[in-house]
Amino acid sequence: MLENAGSRLKAWTVAGVGTAAAVAVAGVLGAFEARHESLPALAPTSRIETGEWLLRPLKAYVTAEKYAYGTLLKPGGKALVLELEMTNRTAKSTKDYFDVLQASRKIVDPATKPFIALTRDSTMSPELHPGMPERMAYIWQLPDGATAPASFDLTVIRKTYKARDNLYGLPGWFNPTPIGTMTIPVGAGPDSADIQP
Amino acid sequence: MIRRSANIILLLVVVAFCYGLQVSKPHYGDLIGPIPARGKLGDTVVGRAFEVHAEKVEFARNLKVDQFGQGKVLTTGGVWAVVTVEFAARAQSTVISVASWRGPTGLTYDQTERLSFMNGLLPVAIDPGLPRKARLIFELRPDEANNATLLVSEKLVAALDSQAEISLGPVPIAADGLPVGTIEMLDMAQPM
Repeated sequence: MLENAGSRLKAWTVAGVGTAAAVAVAGVLGAFEARHESLPALAPTSRIETGEWLLRPLKAYVTAEKYAYGTLLKPGGKALVLELEMTNRTAKSTKDYFDVLQASRKIVDPATKPFIALTRDSTMSPELHPGMPERMAYIWQLPDGATAPASFDLTVIRKTYKARDNLYGLPGWFNPTPIGTMTIPVGAGPDSADIQP
Repeated sequence: MIRRSANIILLLVVVAFCYGLQVSKPHYGDLIGPIPARGKLGDTVVGRAFEVHAEKVEFARNLKVDQFGQGKVLTTGGVWAVVTVEFAARAQSTVISVASWRGPTGLTYDQTERLSFMNGLLPVAIDPGLPRKARLIFELRPDEANNATLLVSEKLVAALDSQAEISLGPVPIAADGLPVGTIEMLDMAQPM
């Protein structure tokens, strides 16, 4: 039993030190950091499905009017308006569209939440009903002194349906995950043509 | 040996029994759901704290409303359904806050939020002995108009409380895809 204790101790030490060294090297090389995969590019002239919503981007423009779809803008400020058709794919009326689109940080201050309005009659963030496409406008206030960009990037975020959540045992949409980015050309003004029929 | 195998068999039986209970018993969300009080158009449906009586259903392509003294026409991509109801409180004053329209395929349309400025919409406060009429306005797909159910409850989460379920009966669909009797413009200013 004890005659080869020395070699066993040696073997354990070598194995332990080797493992620790391997873990340390892997950590230094970045194996334990989150993977940064670049998101796929989505075509702005397509229909994009985000679980709850079917999106069809129509046009984007920068406006300096006092009101954009009933939203009072900061005096002297400009707003980036994105109009798109949204269809509720779920079985219930919902207004869970505040986090579906994220405008690029280069153009919009990330702390700025967009106003979302129904273009039909400028109702602010109404519930949208199942299977009824509606034209909506996302209105981001641009930072002071910003100029109108030629295009801007949007990150599209989807959610996943769970028949029972872990807290209340009720159905819902959870786990927002970005599914891709798209670059939308910024048109001249409210009258510019839709980018898809 | 026999004792050990008997124990293993007992353990397996318990596992199978527990699994059976898990898959066959109603889930928490079903157990604490609303308690239905059923009826049909024209009936008085009695819930725990309120009574509701659905008088008529009207369909319209457009609604004419009066917003702060200005006439306004509300259009829709589908069809407007306006249900005239009468509410009554039973033992104490309460507020009816939620109404939805459940179509034949189970799609649920909440009351529209586009007329929030109008009087006579939910939420409606009701007091015992003082019945009150109200209009429930929905925006829906025309194919969800037939054999629909109107759901009315006091709170958004009607857990373990009454929810009136009023079946609205068959609605024939005309050749243009809209329910028969759909009018072009419904004036919300006219008395209920």
